[in-house]
Amino acid sequence: MKFFTLVGVEFRKIRRSRIQILLFLGTVILWLPSVIHADMNFKMQAEGISPENNFFIQGFMGMAAFLFPASMVVCTVLLQQTERNHHGILKMLSLPVCPAKLCFAKFTVLLSLAAAQILMTVGMYGVSAGIASRTQDYNFLLPLSYVFKQAGSILLASIPMLTFFWLLSVWIRTPIFSIGFGLASIVPSVLMINTKVWFVYPMAYPFFVIVSEYGKLATRLSTAPIKWVPWLPVAAGITIICLLLSCFRFGQVERG
Amino acid sequence: MSVFPECKKMKRTGFFPALLLGGLFSAMVPVLNMAFRSELYTGQGKPPVRILLDANWQMMAMLNILLVLVGTCILYHTEYENHAIGKMAALPIRRGRLFVDKFLLMAAACIVILALEAAAVGFCSFRWFPLPEGFHGLILELLQNFGYFLLLMMPAMLLSLFIASVCENMWISLGIGVICVFTATMLPSGNFAWSLFPYALLFQIPKSLPAHTAGKLLLAVPIEIGAIGIAGALFANIRRRFT
Amino acid sequence: MNIIESSHLTKTYGDFAAVSDIHLHIPGGKVYGFLGPNGAGKSTTMKMLLGLTKPTRGTFVIDGKKYPENRMEILGEVGSLIESPAFYGNLSGEENLEIVRRILGLPKSAVSEALEIVGMTPYRKRLAGKYSLGMKQRLGLASALIGRPPILILDEPTNGLDPVGIHEIRALIRSLPQQFGCTVLISSHLLSEMERMADSIGILNHGRLLFEGTLQELKQRAGAQGFPTENLEDSFLSLIEADNRQTGGMR
Repeated sequence: MKFFTLVGVEFRKIRRSRIQILLFLGTVILWLPSVIHADMNFKMQAEGISPENNFFIQGFMGMAAFLFPASMVVCTVLLQQTERNHHGILKMLSLPVCPAKLCFAKFTVLLSLAAAQILMTVGMYGVSAGIASRTQDYNFLLPLSYVFKQAGSILLASIPMLTFFWLLSVWIRTPIFSIGFGLASIVPSVLMINTKVWFVYPMAYPFFVIVSEYGKLATRLSTAPIKWVPWLPVAAGITIICLLLSCFRFGQVERG
Repeated sequence: MSVFPECKKMKRTGFFPALLLGGLFSAMVPVLNMAFRSELYTGQGKPPVRILLDANWQMMAMLNILLVLVGTCILYHTEYENHAIGKMAALPIRRGRLFVDKFLLMAAACIVILALEAAAVGFCSFRWFPLPEGFHGLILELLQNFGYFLLLMMPAMLLSLFIASVCENMWISLGIGVICVFTATMLPSGNFAWSLFPYALLFQIPKSLPAHTAGKLLLAVPIEIGAIGIAGALFANIRRRFT
Repeated sequence: MNIIESSHLTKTYGDFAAVSDIHLHIPGGKVYGFLGPNGAGKSTTMKMLLGLTKPTRGTFVIDGKKYPENRMEILGEVGSLIESPAFYGNLSGEENLEIVRRILGLPKSAVSEALEIVGMTPYRKRLAGKYSLGMKQRLGLASALIGRPPILILDEPTNGLDPVGIHEIRALIRSLPQQFGCTVLISSHLLSEMERMADSIGILNHGRLLFEGTLQELKQRAGAQGFPTENLEDSFLSLIEADNRQTGGMR
């Protein structure tokens, strides 16, 4: 079976799951306070950041710190429960499909859901910035190319985190442990980004990227810059190891 | 004692070990913070429990609320997974009883979690701070604060349980819970009305609030507990209208 | 004396009538067979009798007790197996029954007794999630039979069982009224089995009760209408066909 056909099959399985509504609802709640308190952006002289930059960065920081990682944990639960409920996985494993390919196809769906949420965030940013611009009589909209670049950076930076969450959901059969570890691992991110070894903690990556950008935009604030070495090799290593382990383990319990 | 069947149902689900581990993880927060950064806190001149809670409670509260969320989802996931809830509905137990018993179990688990955290805060106070009011004063302060936290935890516990009882699919109840937790972090602080949002309550530290606000919370929270609890128990009665 | 009686019992979902105005008369101490094609409304009727689904209209009485006023007393007297077996996959068979035992306030011996009745004693320590289909069905039966309730409502209890298992359960169900004086309401697709088990039957089609009475009465009615009477299957199929022709197969 061709890989992209398999990915298509996996997307079909999550039809009617209402995951898109959940992801969208999160992005609405993300930007609502920013619109309501848009005037607060004019009081950031101490940090030395412009109102439109602050409007953008606060929203994306909120997304990267908790909403996005937690939503991805929920998505892993969706993908796993879809197979485990009614033993759908047994049917899949009895078909001529390579389990590792199936695992990777599911991860691709997870990645797509991540991209979808980030895209929704960008979309809602546009709407919110538009509304705030009208209410405050000030243009809060940043150039789209910049916004998409930052969104893209967050998505790329989140790949190791997604592989880690996926690994947890494949290896840990007990839902409370896989979900619990996943959600609990998000909380220390805010501390980890202030340490020198932040790059060993994939859950901190998206938040680190956006905080680093905050440091660039706020003239009176200094944050740690992104050092590609050792970050890139460690991130690549984590991604590859997590994916390999997931693909190795996927369906093993059912196959006996 | 009908909470016993609820305890039995949680065998091999990892419910108890996970919540215990989560509680220990949360309890480690102030210990590690003090172990690595005690110099930031020891010279502040405020009561030690107050210093420790101000420095660590936001993170501990976040972990607690996530534990509550996951725990309540698992409590009902076990019922829905093999349709055991159908069997429960055909047995002579009051429809709302399942909800109440699960709440009691969750509350008991939260007491254990808070006890661990209180012990950790107590240890840090004892280890790194002078205790002007002595050991008894420390215990009293811990009981006051963590008793308050237990009360503040209940609306979120009840609401999570209610959502989990409504949603047969765990990812939906988990997803709604995640959105609610996120909403709590986005709400403006200092606004009493917003602070009543169930998921935002646990982030309040009683001694850090103005006295009249803490008092108002003490009045408002039991009303919330009653309202959500009744809604949850009632839903069990009207559920069959939708099947 | 009728242990279960319903009056104008109806369940509709929007425009769709799953069960339409049925008057049941289930005699006490007998096996009452509930027959009907797939989607006839058998499971829905049984669910209404257990309070799992709220009737749109109509009332019913179980052992002189009215629903919903006497819900707890009714459920204390009724053992049930509805649709697929319901259990906790993370618990063993024994542990699953232990939960039911505690809720019903039965003595500790009730668990081993129920397991023995359905032949599940060797598998009592195995996790229910690991049971085969037949074992799950037997566990469901055990949880219905535990404590020997006076009324049993069983929805296709022989589903998933092998021929030996079907024979065993049929013999068990047949013996229950005589041994324990209980009343059994049972639905099944296996008409040959029903012929051997049931004292009286009710035939449902498209939510309506077409016939209610003993097998002898069914034969007489079928004969009077010119339908075959050699066996239950022929009479049943003819009755259903005639009803479908009359109503155009619509509810």
